[in-house]
This record gives sequence, structure tokens and C-alpha cells, in this order.
Amino acid sequence: MSSLEIKNIDKFYGATQALFDVSLNIEMGEFVTLLGPSGSGKTTLLKILAGFEPVSSGTILMNGRDISLLSPEKRNFGLVFQGYALFPHMTVHENIAYPLKVRRVAKDEIDERVTAILDLVQLGKFAGRYPAELSGGQQQRVALARALVFKPDLLLLDEPMSALDKKLRVDLQEELRDIHRTLGTTFINVTHDQEEAMHMSDRIAVMNHGRIAQFDTAFNLYRHPDTRFVADFVGKSNILDGEVVQEGDTAMFRAKGVAVPLPEAPTMLEAELMIRPEDGTVEVEAANDGRIYLPGKVLSSTYSGDRALYSLAMDMGENFIVYGSARSGIHGDGARVLMGFAPGDCTLLRKLNG
Amino acid sequence: MSRAIYWISLVLSMLFLALPLLLVLPLAFNESSFLTYPMEGFTLDWFKIAFTQPPWMPAFLNSLKVAFGAAVVAVVIGGLAAMGTMLSGRFGQIILSGLFISPIVIPSVVLGVAFTYAFGRAGFGGGYISLVLAHAILGAPLVFLSVMTSLKGLDPELERAAASMGASRAYRFRTVTLPLAAPGFMTGALFAFVTSFDEVVVALFLAAPQSTTLPIALFSGLRDRLEPTIIAVALMLSLLSLMFLLVLNWLQQRSRYKTRGK
Repeated sequence: MSSLEIKNIDKFYGATQALFDVSLNIEMGEFVTLLGPSGSGKTTLLKILAGFEPVSSGTILMNGRDISLLSPEKRNFGLVFQGYALFPHMTVHENIAYPLKVRRVAKDEIDERVTAILDLVQLGKFAGRYPAELSGGQQQRVALARALVFKPDLLLLDEPMSALDKKLRVDLQEELRDIHRTLGTTFINVTHDQEEAMHMSDRIAVMNHGRIAQFDTAFNLYRHPDTRFVADFVGKSNILDGEVVQEGDTAMFRAKGVAVPLPEAPTMLEAELMIRPEDGTVEVEAANDGRIYLPGKVLSSTYSGDRALYSLAMDMGENFIVYGSARSGIHGDGARVLMGFAPGDCTLLRKLNG
Repeated sequence: MSRAIYWISLVLSMLFLALPLLLVLPLAFNESSFLTYPMEGFTLDWFKIAFTQPPWMPAFLNSLKVAFGAAVVAVVIGGLAAMGTMLSGRFGQIILSGLFISPIVIPSVVLGVAFTYAFGRAGFGGGYISLVLAHAILGAPLVFLSVMTSLKGLDPELERAAASMGASRAYRFRTVTLPLAAPGFMTGALFAFVTSFDEVVVALFLAAPQSTTLPIALFSGLRDRLEPTIIAVALMLSLLSLMFLLVLNWLQQRSRYKTRGK
């Protein structure tokens, strides 16, 4: 069973530290995404994995073998660059044959494998074209084919979709997912697009300021984020800043104007409470059903047919975004409403110092 | 305002650069053997003389030989210099670039004296080889600069991509860097050729009677007998230069098309 173990990596550029004690364990065949805003260190980590940047400390183990000092050409990792980096003086066929020629594969076998991989990325007809004669999406698929044709141990993708328009991106995400399933190669993708990360990945490593904020499945990142950063970065959310107090038998989260009973007593005293927009409802009057209702008024709404996204100014001073049913009309701007939510649907976030 | 600047600069530059040429060139077709206006009829005789009588054709062939030899030597020296400089560190690059470009900065008279002395001492002064070598030294910086430009213009990710596919440094250089820098070599070679072709100062120092080049022939023709033949030769030279310019332009266009990434 092969796997990639990233152990306690630090990376310094002069006096600035780009990565802080980064550790990840990636299983064979997994599709992992490094997700984070620009400057979060995700690209630095990718460059280190590819071998373009040395680590300052820490090790990378591939199947138990330390590869952190190996040069890029000895790692046998496929790499898809942000700008694709196709060789402009070679045809599509020659581009894809390049890594095979380097490995001195026989000519017949080269032709066979190039044809097979071109079929996989649905570019069979374009073998004789030059990169400049292809569209952005086609170039991207050539780059993918070239990085996969030599059966690398690992495929690294550096923001592969960032230069494409939205529609194409969604199509390619699906295609990439299919190719991953077909080949079973381990994929490590870098992106700042949380939607892309959630659509494609088995697990996502959310990065912030050179640290791994959370490494988990898309579901857990969305429903059970560890910190406010992850909650904010992955999807929309409403976050209340408050404290945890013990009242009789139950632990309560208290913020200005709200008290939410917690199902189990947490260990922390200061905390934040996350309510996703779809966890709340917009009502005219409160029901006696154990839910919590907070008064406020509608600032604006966006109607999307199946529902409406309301921006609410709560009386307690916060602004919330909540999805409301739009089956029997939409509340107008300025209307007094109640935002209802069940305590059990909220997630308590650990509060980091600073 | 900007329109006024546009027209003023356009008119002035046309006056200074193009008008003298345009005024003189028609005289190549003048029947009179004096270089004066008004023209007295139309003739192609001066072109006939240029092609049949000495010193024009031998000088032209000499010039071609020298320019071709100089371009080849300049490409080898300048190209190697550029590649070596690219592979050295940043500080090394500054110093090496300065050294390799220096022949451009030194006045040709100084170079002429130096070449005459040095080649004379070495025992092959005044001949074809000395002219080729001297012009190669003048042309090498141009090759160096154009190869450096095309090497620096390469997307560094291409080399990284080749590395990620397992290609060694030497293999990457041969299959990716060198082919993509080829337009730089071509441009440099052309520059070196043209430079040698109309270089007169150093050639005056070095050329022997049997290795007289076209610019020298023109220069002495201007001194000895002022004939319309000179203008006819000048006109043909101008057309040749124009052709080179077009080839150069085409080369640059082609390289831009090929390295255009999306």
C-alpha cells in the first residue's frame, strides 16, 4: 500500500516563513485538494512536492522512502501547470510523447500510449496540431494527458482551471473526476476555488497563513468546521461571537441578544457559533417548537426560483444571510421578520487566539 | 495637441531621414554623368556599368564572402557566449554581459587600429581572414544580445515542465531551450551579416586591394570619380537592406506566434 506522508515541513524564504509545521497523510489513489486564499502557502507546498523548492526542515515520504532531497526529474510525479507549459514548438503528439522519449520507450509503444491517453482526454483528432492552435480547455487537457502518460506515482495540479471560464471549468471538473476514477492515480490539486475543491476532492486540506487549518472531507469541512476561518472560507455562514456558560444542567452559548442551549458541554469558554444560511428559516411569527426565533428586518433578497436568499438586519445588531422559502411570495425589503433556527443545527467553533 | 506632436515629429523625421535619400536616388537613372538636377532623360546604363566594370562586382562578391564568414563565426562566438552567460549566476551575468557587449561601445577607429596591429603581428593582416575575424568580433555582440533576449523570453515553466517529466538538464536544453531560442540565433546572424556588409571603418584599415569590400569601393568612388554608378550601387544596396529588414521582421513575427501561450 503506497502513500505520501508529509511530515512537519517548514519553509523559509530568507527571514519570512511560508510554511509552518505542515503535515499531511495522503493515501494511494486519493484525490486531495489544497485549498486556501492567495498567500496561504498552498502553491509553496506544491512546489516543494514537485521538487522545485527545497524544504527548510521536515521530510516527505513516498511509500516510506524519503524523497525530500530528490530533484524534480527523479521523482516521477506528473505536473499540470497553471499556464499549462506546453512546448510551443511541438505538436500535441510530440508534447505527450516527450516524457516517454525521455524514458526511452520504444517508438511503437509511444504511439500506442499517446493515442490511448488522447482518447481518454477526448482529443484524438488533435494529435497533429500545435498548442497555439488549440483553445484553452483543449490545451489544459493536453497538459493533463502529458502529465499522466508516463504513469506517474502522483499527479500534481497547480490551479489547473483558473484560466478557464465558468462553464468549461464545471465540465472539466467532472472530466478530471472521471479520469481520476479510471486511472486510480493519486491526485493533488491546488485551488482557491472552494466550489471546485468540494466537487472533486475526496479530502480537502484548507490552508491559511502557511498552516493546515483543517484536513477533512468536504462534508466535514462544511458541517463541522474547526475554526471560523474554515467556516468562512468554505461556503456562506453567519457567525456569532460569544461565550459558553453553564446554567444548571445545560451548557449555553451566550452572545448579545441570543442564548443557544448546547447538546454537550464543550471544554472551551470563549467560542463562536456558526449558522449556515440553509439552517435558518424566515418566518412572520414564531411557533412553539423548540426553535429559536430572532427578530429583524429584511435588507434585501435575491430570488433564485427554488428559494430566496435574504440579507437580514437583526435587532441584536448583526447582519445575517438566510435562505427562505419563496413558494408563496417573497418578503419585501424593510419587512419585519423572524429568523428561526434549531439549536441542534448550529456548530460551535473553536476560537483561536489572535 | 498630441495630433500636432504626431505630425511635427513625422514630418521632421521624414525630412531628416528619408528626404536626402529620396532626392539622391533618382539620379541613378539620370543620363548625365553629373550628379545634378534637373535630370536629362532616363537610362539604365549606370546599372549596366555597375554590373560589368570593376571594381563593383568583385567588391560585392568580396563583401558577401566576408559578411557570410563573419556571420557564421559571430553566431558561434555570440551564441556560445549567450548560453554560457544564461547558465551563470546573476552577478556573473552582469559582468559577462558587459564584456561580451563591449565591442559595440568601443569606437571602430580604435578597433581598426587594434586589429591592424594585432593581425599584422600574427601574420595574416590585410587578407580575407583578418576581415572575417574583425567583423565577427563586431557582429558577435549582436548575436549575443538577440540570443540572450530570446533565452530570457522563454517561459521558465517550460523547463520545469520538462524536468517534471524526467528530462535531465542537458536533455531539456537540447529539446526545449535551444529550439525555442532558434529565432534569436537567426536574427543575430542576420544582424551580424548586415553589420559586416556595410562596415567601412575597420575594413579600410584591414582590406588589401584584392579583398576590397563594397563599402570601400563606394567610399573611394566617392573620392575619385563622382559618377551616377555610385548612386546605382547605393540604390541596389538599399533594396538589399530593405529585404533583410523584411526577413528580420518576418522572423520576429514567427517567433512571437510560436511562443504565444494562452
